Amino acid sequence: MSCDEVREQLPDYSLGTLSDIESAALRRHLRGCAGCRAEAQKLDEGVALFASAAHAMEPPPELKSKVLGVLEEEWQEAPPAKPRVHRLGMISWPAVAAVLVLLAGALVWGGVAQSDAGRFRADVSSYQQFLHALGGKDVRVATLSARSPQVIQGSAVLYDSDRGQSWALVMAHAPGYSGSLNVVLSAANGRTISLHPIELDANGEGSTWLVTAADISSFRVVRLTDATGRLLAAGTVSER
Amino acid sequence: MRRAGKADDRPDGELVRAFLRRDPSAAEALYDRFAPRVFGLGMVMLGNASQAEDLVQDTFVKVWRKASTFDSARGSLDTWVLLVARSLAIDLIRRRVLETRILASQQEPTEVSVAPGPEELAETRDLTDRARQAMNALTPGQRAALELAYFQGKTSTEVAELEGIPVGTAKTRIRTALVKLREALEVHHEL
Repeated sequence: MSCDEVREQLPDYSLGTLSDIESAALRRHLRGCAGCRAEAQKLDEGVALFASAAHAMEPPPELKSKVLGVLEEEWQEAPPAKPRVHRLGMISWPAVAAVLVLLAGALVWGGVAQSDAGRFRADVSSYQQFLHALGGKDVRVATLSARSPQVIQGSAVLYDSDRGQSWALVMAHAPGYSGSLNVVLSAANGRTISLHPIELDANGEGSTWLVTAADISSFRVVRLTDATGRLLAAGTVSER
Repeated sequence: MRRAGKADDRPDGELVRAFLRRDPSAAEALYDRFAPRVFGLGMVMLGNASQAEDLVQDTFVKVWRKASTFDSARGSLDTWVLLVARSLAIDLIRRRVLETRILASQQEPTEVSVAPGPEELAETRDLTDRARQAMNALTPGQRAALELAYFQGKTSTEVAELEGIPVGTAKTRIRTALVKLREALEVHHEL
């Protein structure tokens, strides 16, 4: 739209009589044109001043407490305000993954036992910010301990979202082990979720992760098995 | 019109965000800022204090429910709230007209008085007079175009049809009216 076309429509825009499509096209122009924005502001001020001069009248004093009381009722009955959550397209998934890896890594390499997971939560200063950014319910953690002669350690971080994007991250350290590790999440009702196998690097370290729209809050047991199905390590995530 | 106490000086966007967070001070600030104009608009358009009070309540509830859609980049909070109020007032008028027609078709004519009482008539006349004074800066054509657009929500095209003028002329009259009002009333408010 040209400036001339926009300025022709500004009076209708200020008075709220443009269609939604016309308003959207006009707003698009205003976003990039300071001159037309100044003109629009002038007309808005004209409307506001006209309203003040033409029909401002003090309502009965008791109306204020009545209206504020009605708003209070609205607030009580409306769902609680949720923390601001970035739309999915705005989340930097690599950054989130990095945070998750750090969280899980701290558990494995720092030797933090599962019983200390609560302290870990309290210690990690970014934990609350992390949850706030994701808007989810909680992060559950588990330390995976060896169930075979194979030297193996692991940790799991499960993030339960109330917005349809739950996570599971599983890390393993198995020096001297060759081959991949199968990873399975299990729920008490027998349901299982298989993650992509962990491919260990030359140092015996590797990880796998899952993003899912499914509700994984009931999945509590994490198992690592070899290609034959032999159980190598397992752990149970802490209760929320 | 000056009120006792310090006016809230939060920017529009911040005030609305606080309102969304259910901040009582934000609700009170919004009420103090807009209730007089909304109540007055109700008196002018609906003709009686009871319906004007209902308009105030309905407007604030609607503003709360739609607050998340307010974008200060799209326009001022003043015009946004006033247009919400006007839209509700127009709906009330249309419903009243419809109910009157249904009632008339279903019942024997009765002597039910629906006209505003003498006090309300005086108040409405006073407001109308004030509106007319504010409009004295305008030509009759500009005044008519603005009244149709502002109080009745008519588009420029509808104003043109009703006034029997080209659409471009209708747009120019409305624009000129708003600009002249802003210039005239700005001086008045600074006094």
